[in-house]
Amino acid sequence: MEILNSILPELIRIVICAVCGAVIVFGNALVMGYAERKLAGHFMLRPGPMEVGFHGIIQLVVDGLKLMGKQLVVPAKADKPLFMLAPILAFAPVFIPLLVIPFSDKLQGFDLDVGLLLILAVASINVLAILIGGWGSNNKYSLFGAFRSVAQNVAYEIPMLISLLAIVFMTNTFSLREIAAAQSPVWFVILQPLAFLIYIVAMVAETNRAPFDLPEAESELTAGFHTEYSGMSFSLFVLGEYANMFIVCSIATVFFLGGDSGIPLPYFEYSGAIWFLAKVYALMFFLVWIRWTYPRTRFDQLMNFCWKYLIPFSLVNLLITVVMVKLI
Amino acid sequence: MNVDVLEDERHHRFVLNMGPQHPSTHGVLRVLLELEGEYAMSLQPVLGYGHRCHEKIAEYKPAKSFMPNTARMDYLGALIYNHGYAQLLEKATGIEAPQRAEYIRVITSELNRIQSHLLWYGAYLLDLGAFTPIMYSFDDREHILDILEDVTGSRLTYCYYRVGGVCRDIDDKFIAGTRQFIDRLRSRFPMYEDLVNGNVILQNRLNGIGDLTPQTCARYGVTGPLLRGTGVAYDMRRAEPYSVYPEFDFEIPTETKGDCMASFLVRFREMEQSLRIIEQALDRLPEGPIMAAKVPKKLKIPAGDYNSSVEAPRGELSYYLVADGSDTPYRLKVRTPSYSNLSVVSEQCAGMLLSDVVSAMGSLDLVIPEIDR
Amino acid sequence: MDVKNVVQQWQNMATSVEEVDYSVSGYDYSVCLEGEKLSAFAGLMLNEGFYLVDLMAVHVEPAIEVVYQFAHFKTRCRVMARAFVDGKGEIPTISDIYQGANWHERETRDFHGVVFTGHPNLEPLILAEEDVDLKPLLKDEKKLKGVAAVRRVQPEPEAAKPEAVKSPEQS
Repeated sequence: MEILNSILPELIRIVICAVCGAVIVFGNALVMGYAERKLAGHFMLRPGPMEVGFHGIIQLVVDGLKLMGKQLVVPAKADKPLFMLAPILAFAPVFIPLLVIPFSDKLQGFDLDVGLLLILAVASINVLAILIGGWGSNNKYSLFGAFRSVAQNVAYEIPMLISLLAIVFMTNTFSLREIAAAQSPVWFVILQPLAFLIYIVAMVAETNRAPFDLPEAESELTAGFHTEYSGMSFSLFVLGEYANMFIVCSIATVFFLGGDSGIPLPYFEYSGAIWFLAKVYALMFFLVWIRWTYPRTRFDQLMNFCWKYLIPFSLVNLLITVVMVKLI
Repeated sequence: MNVDVLEDERHHRFVLNMGPQHPSTHGVLRVLLELEGEYAMSLQPVLGYGHRCHEKIAEYKPAKSFMPNTARMDYLGALIYNHGYAQLLEKATGIEAPQRAEYIRVITSELNRIQSHLLWYGAYLLDLGAFTPIMYSFDDREHILDILEDVTGSRLTYCYYRVGGVCRDIDDKFIAGTRQFIDRLRSRFPMYEDLVNGNVILQNRLNGIGDLTPQTCARYGVTGPLLRGTGVAYDMRRAEPYSVYPEFDFEIPTETKGDCMASFLVRFREMEQSLRIIEQALDRLPEGPIMAAKVPKKLKIPAGDYNSSVEAPRGELSYYLVADGSDTPYRLKVRTPSYSNLSVVSEQCAGMLLSDVVSAMGSLDLVIPEIDR
Repeated sequence: MDVKNVVQQWQNMATSVEEVDYSVSGYDYSVCLEGEKLSAFAGLMLNEGFYLVDLMAVHVEPAIEVVYQFAHFKTRCRVMARAFVDGKGEIPTISDIYQGANWHERETRDFHGVVFTGHPNLEPLILAEEDVDLKPLLKDEKKLKGVAAVRRVQPEPEAAKPEAVKSPEQS
């Protein structure tokens, strides 16, 4: 009984967190799926989805139902266990980072001391999912997409990490809530503009979004690693992509844009969460915006950019930060 | 073409089959790529998926009735294909189209050329991963299709020209619509330049990719914007002037580097020059008949061989007709620009990255039905 | 490029060089060659800066005639060079000089069955591999005409034709 009493609140907390996480993941996918199509439409001077519901607002629900109803096609010569595992692996880990993201000072699953490390560790599982998906499909285009994805994600994790490390040196903590709280007078985007720029670039590359969408460059590799996927297994990849976008934008918000700080709204206790989500979705809008504006880079240019510019600059930035922290 | 053998002989290479259904081959073209990593060490285009035997058909029906077939060869430059063919038969039979008809031909041909370039512009940028410009260029292209639909009756595979003229006269609505379109497209060029041409990613993707030299072009018979991108100002409208082109003042845009960027810029500037030609033609449009007075129903072509070359959007288009004195061609050979332009890829793209192969092939502006006639 | 000089050189290697009225026929010179002179001729054309416009075959009696069309980037000089295939239906390739001829020759092989000797890769280009012997553009007996029937009727008698060669075997 004693043990139960001490465990039960934790269990309830975990269940609630998991439910909230699922709500965020699916809700985000619905919102972003609709927003992306609608925004892309307007960038292209066309209205986007208009048929289902008012201005196509329930288009994504209908699409989701359609995808669920579709047959899962496994290519005859594919490696079936790996082929089926990949979408799950791409989708399942996205819940974990959501547990430690501080939506406001009162809304957070768990405030871990190593929150940042947890997120970065879990985020790299995505690479594995893409690799085994591409390998398991037994398709040359998929394989190419997978290879590109691994090289790209491994490379861009480095500048991403180093630019975040500069903030960690300034705040002396890995806890996301404390990092967010440390920005009460000035946001770190003003103190660390270079780190912010590097993070934004690395963030786009990490989520495999255009102009860095080389793993799924459809004019070269038809659809890259998810060429052979259909129905629900395909939509799991898409859900994973949108959730990953949400996570990297959340990290950017926590580290550079002051987390939940903002003018408190009257009569609302969780106004911080509103500000937090507003910042996250502003960043997501930015991601959508550049995706529909720029052409795709070439793979060697992408890697050169990372190894020759981003990593040296982020190291310099880190060095300057360390010196400044020591001096001040 | 035995894929297994290729893979066996050099087992560290693998063969990637690009096409016949691939987003960036723009039609049923198949390319066998032998890859080492991401580098394409050799390319073999495989043709013939859409061959419709136009040259054989030509030998079985009266020469006049072949006109609609010409439009099916290059669905983007249909009027220019009409033009070349009409001119061929006019040369052979000594019929002369009236001035007004020639002016109308020039106006509609140039609209057709702009339409083709606009489609290439959008599709090429789509190949390079920019999704939005294709919608902008299709928006503009739609206006041309509407204008041409009013006068020709169709939107893509036109059959508007006849031996000795054109089949319908243009009206004030057409002229007003065309003038409006010229102003519209002119006002859109700065936007295209801001949005696309100056983009640093685009420049990095195109500069120094797929180098061609005038010598290579001569060996392979590469013509059109690709050749002009190497610095040779060779345009059939000037080199062997036909129709009423000598009366107009226009430039032939050239670049010197011969890479993808050069042909990109050449095509982009050609649209502006085409607008200039249309403007001048509209200003000077003469009154008069649109068909030659006496075009016999049964068009006997005197024995001999005839050639007619025009500048299609993708390069030089030549019709070569061997006649035996009857109204049916004894042999008709169509020299399509894409056929020669594509044959250069094996040399041009060897050793390139896969992404560059896509951008080099896109800069050829391929229309596959023109290759598989 | 000096046209007169080039014409002079053609005359040295060709059986006949004829200037044609551009306004009627759409080209400037008609050059009749013998098969073995083709390589030398193509080399000369490449040196003078001509590009290969087209390569085609016309099925006439007594033998299939292969027509090479050249033009020049700088001067208007469009040349039709003609050569008949030999008794075995063969003719030397020019694809070693004009690489662009490679595909044209393969296409001609597909449609007319002309064998280009020395061609590096004379596989079917447009036809499927099982249709190699189809030769779809060959004329049947009823339609086949003599070479004189498809030549322009000139006021004065035409230049001498290359000596008659045997018709290639047809399947």
